[in-house]
Amino acid sequence: MSWFRKPSSTPLWRDEFPVFTADEQFVNRRQFTKFLTLTSFGMMVGNLWILGKSMFHRPASYPRVPVAAMDEIAVGGVKIFNYPSADDPCILVRTVADEYVAYSQKCTHLSCAVYYEKEQNRLECPCHQGFFSIADGSVLQGPPQRALPRVVLEKKDGRLVAIRMETESL
Amino acid sequence: MNTNPPQKRGLTAIDGAMALIVILLLVQIWLLSATLESYLAGHREVALPGAIISAILFAVCLGLYRFVDRIDSEVRRG
Amino acid sequence: MFGMEFYVDPSRCIGCQSCLKACEECDTHRGVSMINFDFIDREETIATAAYVCWHCDDPTCAQVCPADAIKKYEDGIVGSSLKPRCIGCSNCVLACPFGIPKLVPQYEQMMKCDMCYDRTSVGKRPMCATVCPSQALAYVTPETIAATRREKPVNTFWFGNQKITTKVYMMAPADTAEIAIDVADYTWEGDNELVPQAF
Repeated sequence: MSWFRKPSSTPLWRDEFPVFTADEQFVNRRQFTKFLTLTSFGMMVGNLWILGKSMFHRPASYPRVPVAAMDEIAVGGVKIFNYPSADDPCILVRTVADEYVAYSQKCTHLSCAVYYEKEQNRLECPCHQGFFSIADGSVLQGPPQRALPRVVLEKKDGRLVAIRMETESL
Repeated sequence: MNTNPPQKRGLTAIDGAMALIVILLLVQIWLLSATLESYLAGHREVALPGAIISAILFAVCLGLYRFVDRIDSEVRRG
Repeated sequence: MFGMEFYVDPSRCIGCQSCLKACEECDTHRGVSMINFDFIDREETIATAAYVCWHCDDPTCAQVCPADAIKKYEDGIVGSSLKPRCIGCSNCVLACPFGIPKLVPQYEQMMKCDMCYDRTSVGKRPMCATVCPSQALAYVTPETIAATRREKPVNTFWFGNQKITTKVYMMAPADTAEIAIDVADYTWEGDNELVPQAF
């Protein structure tokens, strides 16, 4: 960090370990301020990272993946599947006889797995009591800020096929 | 070597600068989390203003740190 | 501190060694006296001199300590070595121009006068100045010194080209502004093996 430090006649070690106890207050403050500035730099790097990601963003192309047969699940039942890749867990819910909805299972707060609470008819996250609407995945209560990403389903030949994710997310 | 007790004014100035930096840091932390949440929700247009404001906040933090450094060297070696 | 300063006048020392014994009484340094007591030239004279640490403004001992064990406090007192830090390297012993710090082998620790910091920090006088019958070691206000002594207090020393200013004053003849000491003048070249010292 020699380029950053103002030119001084005393070497850094003499500065940081003063002989006079009165100077130690200054050293402590300066070191803490240095740490705070470093933290600020880290935050800026985070924002720049987001900017970089946005500049290199390409519209995603989604595969078509068969999820389940339409009669596979009972009314009010769920099926866990992976979409669009094997690392993305999703949850399929049969709410009423011919209505199926599917969402990403990763809670938008801290990625705990949400489950379908049948009595309340909503998706719940057990970690911090985040609740999502079963209709559109929007947040009903709790720490999550974003809605659950929805998996768009297509009914074809008695089967449910996942064709794309509705909400764009990283 | 300065053998006198530290100038009280110098110490107060440094304390003030530090308090200001902490406040700016809190704003920056909030900005980062809000930008991230917005971006992940699909509003990609927040990335640029967020980055610019974060950079401005960091520049101010840096300026305040250099101010603290200057006061420190003035008081201790003056 | 509290308006009082420490004054050393070796010409007043009668060699009673009360200062040594008083310093020893302190439990904070385990009965080890930290007075530097010199027989000037025992073969020739009974003259003695007792010294305490001079508490320099820019303490050489503190500057050379590799363990950051010696600190100068805001009121100007240079403390003895900090127990957890001192490694017994004797750097300060060699560096001090006045030869004050002593390495105590059984503790592997440097020990030196800290002007009875536990006493002076609350306004009491150091032990040695309290018991000295001739007040060769005196801890009084500058006004008292000016009123009761012919000598003038001096706190600037020259060791060759090096200027050292101290907190403790040496009483010197009235026309002396600074005291110059050429170490070469005092380099001992005699035949005797031992120079007697009370410490």
